[in-house]
Amino acid sequence: MRGSMKTYFTGVLLIGIPILLAACGAKIDPNKLTSELLPLDGNPLVSFRVLVKVGSANDPSGKEGLCRLTWSLLAGGGSKSITIRQITEKFYPMAASLSLSMDKELAVFEGTVHKDNLEGYYAIIKDMLLDPGFRPDDFNRIKTNQLNFVEKTLINNMDETFGKEILNLMLYEDHPYGHHEAGTAESVAGLTLDDVNAFYREHFVQGNIVLGLAGGYPADFAAKVAADFGKLPQTFTPRLSLPPAHMPKGLEFVIAEKPTPATAISMGFPIALTKADEDFFALWIAGSHFGEHRQHVSLLFQKIREERGQNYGDYAYIDHFIQGRDKFPAPNHVRQQQYFSIWIRPLANSNRHFVIRQALRELKKLVDDGLSEERFQLVRTYLLNYTKLYAQTIGERLGWQMDSVYYGYPDFLAEAQNVLPKLTRADVNRAIKKYLNFENVCVAVITQDAEGLRNDLVSNAPSPIKYANPNMPREVLDEDTVIQEYPLSVKADKARIALAAEFFQKRGVPAK
Amino acid sequence: MAKILASALSAVLLLALPLKSQTTKVFPYDYRIEELENGLKVVSIPLSNPNIISYYTIVRSGSRNEIEPGKSGFAHFFEHMMFKGTKQVPKTAYDEFLTRLGAGTNGYTTDDFTCYFVVFAGRENLEKVVKTEADRFINLYYTEDVIKTEASVIEGEYYSSVSNPDRRLVELLRDTAFEKHSYKHTTLGFLKDIQDLPNQYDYSLLYKKRFYSPDNSILLVAGDFDHAKLMAYVKKYYGSWEKSNYALQTPVEPPQIQPKRSHYDWPTKTLPKLVIGFHGPAYSDETIDKAALDLLAETSFSPSSPLYQRLVIQEQKCFSLGASFGDTRDPYLLMFNADLKNDDDLSYVESEILKELEKAKNEPAPAQKLAEIKSNMKYSMANALGTTDGIAGTLAFYINLAADPATLNKLFNLYEKVTPRDIQDAAKKYFKAANSTVVTLTGGKEK
Repeated sequence: MRGSMKTYFTGVLLIGIPILLAACGAKIDPNKLTSELLPLDGNPLVSFRVLVKVGSANDPSGKEGLCRLTWSLLAGGGSKSITIRQITEKFYPMAASLSLSMDKELAVFEGTVHKDNLEGYYAIIKDMLLDPGFRPDDFNRIKTNQLNFVEKTLINNMDETFGKEILNLMLYEDHPYGHHEAGTAESVAGLTLDDVNAFYREHFVQGNIVLGLAGGYPADFAAKVAADFGKLPQTFTPRLSLPPAHMPKGLEFVIAEKPTPATAISMGFPIALTKADEDFFALWIAGSHFGEHRQHVSLLFQKIREERGQNYGDYAYIDHFIQGRDKFPAPNHVRQQQYFSIWIRPLANSNRHFVIRQALRELKKLVDDGLSEERFQLVRTYLLNYTKLYAQTIGERLGWQMDSVYYGYPDFLAEAQNVLPKLTRADVNRAIKKYLNFENVCVAVITQDAEGLRNDLVSNAPSPIKYANPNMPREVLDEDTVIQEYPLSVKADKARIALAAEFFQKRGVPAK
Repeated sequence: MAKILASALSAVLLLALPLKSQTTKVFPYDYRIEELENGLKVVSIPLSNPNIISYYTIVRSGSRNEIEPGKSGFAHFFEHMMFKGTKQVPKTAYDEFLTRLGAGTNGYTTDDFTCYFVVFAGRENLEKVVKTEADRFINLYYTEDVIKTEASVIEGEYYSSVSNPDRRLVELLRDTAFEKHSYKHTTLGFLKDIQDLPNQYDYSLLYKKRFYSPDNSILLVAGDFDHAKLMAYVKKYYGSWEKSNYALQTPVEPPQIQPKRSHYDWPTKTLPKLVIGFHGPAYSDETIDKAALDLLAETSFSPSSPLYQRLVIQEQKCFSLGASFGDTRDPYLLMFNADLKNDDDLSYVESEILKELEKAKNEPAPAQKLAEIKSNMKYSMANALGTTDGIAGTLAFYINLAADPATLNKLFNLYEKVTPRDIQDAAKKYFKAANSTVVTLTGGKEK
């Protein structure tokens, strides 16, 4: 982790003073809140991002889902002074809201408002966050919604997300990351309003909070916000000391069985690298080449979708990825530990074995051969230009500014413009060899006839596929003959099968 | 020689002014509209925001244009084919061009139009983008083999959302509510038609000739560029694009004469869902009906409405509740959606929605509520227009409807004129039992 350049507030200190202190190398008091400011004179909008450095990894054992429930009550429940109905009525003419986005180690409360309404809006969200009502009605409503999500929606209505979450279970069994943010049906059912109150009191404290403000707010506004949040207790939650993630030994499968015409697949393994590491930029080029999210540049997209028409898209990521506006990564999903993953969008059950083989074979080729000089040059140029589009809204600019601080850069996106041109193909291919592999991979599959897939995998049965096009290019068909017999070393005891309906009832991968 | 059709002059930073003033335009930017001799319209919005340019091509053909049996989903399929390159710039070269540019690029298809966008940094790249985009719209080339492979991608796209019950709910609603009009199917199309796409090469050529023409398309460019340079490039590269002159006649939907109802049994556990649709009016920035109904949707079904507060917050019967009155070129559906928590509450929630509509016919909306709604709409729009791509992305939709950004200001002026009486009259006109279609979806009981 690089050195941080955080600013912080104490009480009603003027914002210039802590900036000066930080610039002089003053130590930051971990018990006090910090802030990130992006004043933009003349901008009609003001964006808030209140980041709390506490996420689902902070859930107490047996109370998985408590963090999300607590933060959801702040964003979706009333404050002590007014009910959620009154809040909704007041927000409505402003077209404003307070939304919550959360991950394993942090949560962000976000809102953007026209500066006409800044004072009225802030007065409401201040009370929502600093003086929450925690009414039983709000608690019951939000808890029921969370329970319905894990019991029904996640496993029945969104197989692509379900697949990614099974991969998470595999990578982080017996690890604080190893449960969904919403918890399990069993744990959520047992959560009480007392649990929520206690979690809030323990964790919604100054040292855990980064106040983010961007846009055309008045000069004295940031200090006012800092003074309000400065009334929170001066303490902090110690940064989690995480155990290692599960590094698969060989190919490890979890196959979730459900009635479905289409198979969803996610695969991956932990990697010892985050945006804070210098190698990140080299591996970023490799990741973009191999599977840039929903862009034509992705090699997997070209091989699986464009050449063969197998599905809607195929992508890869070198760190945890959440899609924000359009197809760009959403900021403020930072983690101490990261993982590499491949996302294969749903495809006909008949072709599942072939595509699993194809993806793993492409991964082997990436590790063995790396990028050509031509491809390296092209993808580097791509990233240099594409990342200029990441931060267009003021909220995005603020979010990336906050992530820069987390990872120890003055400006991460500017650093990319600085570092990428200096990299060589050798740097990228060295990073691939260092961080990626094709032999030790967790594979999560949601499909019908799980037993049939397991038998095919374990026996290495050939998996030829058929095309609607009778004149497929010769080179594609020639490659197919290799892919359809590409050997995968899958042992029967490393291919677990479980009923889809039994996931997320309790922690971990259910036993069949 | 291009002719200037319209020019709205106003300060670029007008959006920074308070929106509380009644006179502020909701779309405050300076723009120009020009038309080439071949009928291609260009909406140009140079902005002071540095560096980024949003380049949108809007083809006024969507699933609405799929009027022939067996052709549902074709507009969306053709959107995919538009990325297959030309003889001069084959697909691999086109992909490489976009990759080198680092552009945010894609396409999407709606009921009424298909939109292609290239969002990129650097005004020095504008000519290359105009040239390359013009080439693919004029000279698109693919073989029958390519179409057969792409057809299976569409089936894959269908599979991507196969586990989502909302898609099935809206498919069933449209199929039940419409008899003749092409709004009967979704943009993805009926599965049987998707599965026949590999055999549609000849029709794809006819489709392109009919609809992918300058007289059926609009360029929308917003961002950091010089208008004169843009127009010089557009004339140079799009000038040879030939008109189609094809006139689409969408079937007229006969009036619905009795209530309709359908149900879908979802195979696994899921939250119950309800949607009620009424045939409504097409988009208009001149006649009052649609504007009045938009206000009704907010008065009676927004999160601040009494019904929402009761069903979602107090009684907690619903996970969500809302009204969706889409803006479409032909009359579409006024839809009321509810996601419930228990199957047993379906009839109750349906009856409460219908009671709310009866109330809307008989009780005038409070003036203060209408003022709040108008405020909400203005600030929502100000937020949407906060970036270059926000401006282009928002306008693409309205330009499809009216070919002129002025429609946004006309629409918001119309909202200002809507009276409580107008809302009551519109409710009485459209929310009749004989005009309704109810669709429910419940999950299986098995694990």
